[in-house]
Amino acid sequence: MKISGSHALPFSPEQAYAVLQDPAALALAIPGCQSLEKTGDNEYHMKMKMVVAAISGNFEGSVRLSEHMPPSSFRMDVDGSGKIGFVKGSGLLTITPADGGSAVAYDGEMQIGGTIAAVGQRLIDTTSKMMLKKFFERIVSG
Amino acid sequence: MIPENFEYSAPATLDEALKLIQGGAKPLAGGMSLIPMMKLRLATPERLVDIGRLKDLNYIREASGAIHVGAAATHYDVESSPVIRVKCPLLSETAAHIGDVQVRNMGTIGGSIAHADPAADYPAALQALEAKIVLKGAKSERTVSAGDFFLDTFTTALEPGELVREVIVPVEGGGVGTSYQKMLQPASGFAIVGVAARIQRSGGKITMARIGVTGLANRSFRATAAERALEGKSGSATEIQNAAALVSEGVDANSDLNASAEYRKHLATVYAARAITAALARSA
Repeated sequence: MKISGSHALPFSPEQAYAVLQDPAALALAIPGCQSLEKTGDNEYHMKMKMVVAAISGNFEGSVRLSEHMPPSSFRMDVDGSGKIGFVKGSGLLTITPADGGSAVAYDGEMQIGGTIAAVGQRLIDTTSKMMLKKFFERIVSG
Repeated sequence: MIPENFEYSAPATLDEALKLIQGGAKPLAGGMSLIPMMKLRLATPERLVDIGRLKDLNYIREASGAIHVGAAATHYDVESSPVIRVKCPLLSETAAHIGDVQVRNMGTIGGSIAHADPAADYPAALQALEAKIVLKGAKSERTVSAGDFFLDTFTTALEPGELVREVIVPVEGGGVGTSYQKMLQPASGFAIVGVAARIQRSGGKITMARIGVTGLANRSFRATAAERALEGKSGSATEIQNAAALVSEGVDANSDLNASAEYRKHLATVYAARAITAALARSA
């Protein structure tokens, strides 16, 4: 599935570029993130508990950052799995200056599988949009 | 298909139920969304508190120009209630569209709106009716409008420890016609797009138009641009088409295996025109 969209951030492109790669800020902003530990250069191990409606599940996996082009773009790869399914995604984040700060556009591919995808297919698009919105709101509120 | 172990309690009063919910128990109403999730082990609540049979939540009554529907009223109760059918027919018509007979006999209005599935039917009608929703916590009670209640996919104004206590809908005045039209997903019955229209006419002119939309976006909403386009008009076929075209304008539409975003927007226009046409035909 393709995911794309954009979000305004009240930061300069340099600040936005930095905060979107700051593990402490990411850990606070990713919905349900329980821990994000550095395991290598630009590599992190993440544990999260996803809660959507009555569904809840623990996921564990890796986050990798690459293709650094400061301060305008980088790639984020996420790979996680849990009892209720798996998520795999890769997206390019592009930061451009905008009125009042910067705009972050994301464009990528996401794969969701397992029980959660088998029964929740019709809800994946709207649920992932909601989680991305939460993520950017929390990046702003810190 | 067997859920993980859980504790179950069925208190006799709402206050007792609220205490258990404050303590972290998950409310179970009709179970039409929660139980299937538990059977697949996607949801694994440790404690359930059954509110589906609470007398305190099981009523439909008319008082001072409004109809109060208790949260535990089933879709069938709403569909078949003489008072709702006559005085707020949009709500009973919408209830009759939900799922199938089995779901309508078990599922409740409070459970459905608290779950806030983006493709549920009720939200379209509740938006068009400008319904009020009463939320009860252990100590206090507050009332929010439908527009402020549905926030996002599976996200409502309910705070932890709060329950939907009742839904308040208006007794329709003279000259009002209503209709709910939906494109349904044939297996689940969920709305790929659903539009509720509520139109009042007086002296050949539309004096009030309310249009609620579900299934199209992450949350239900009122199509206010389309409403404004209708008010003051006579309701000709062209005016209806022009208004219907505004329903999906600027909307970030959902996309899934049933319908792409573009197709959903097209459906919203088609079904809005049908709902407006039918509501007009029923108005004075």
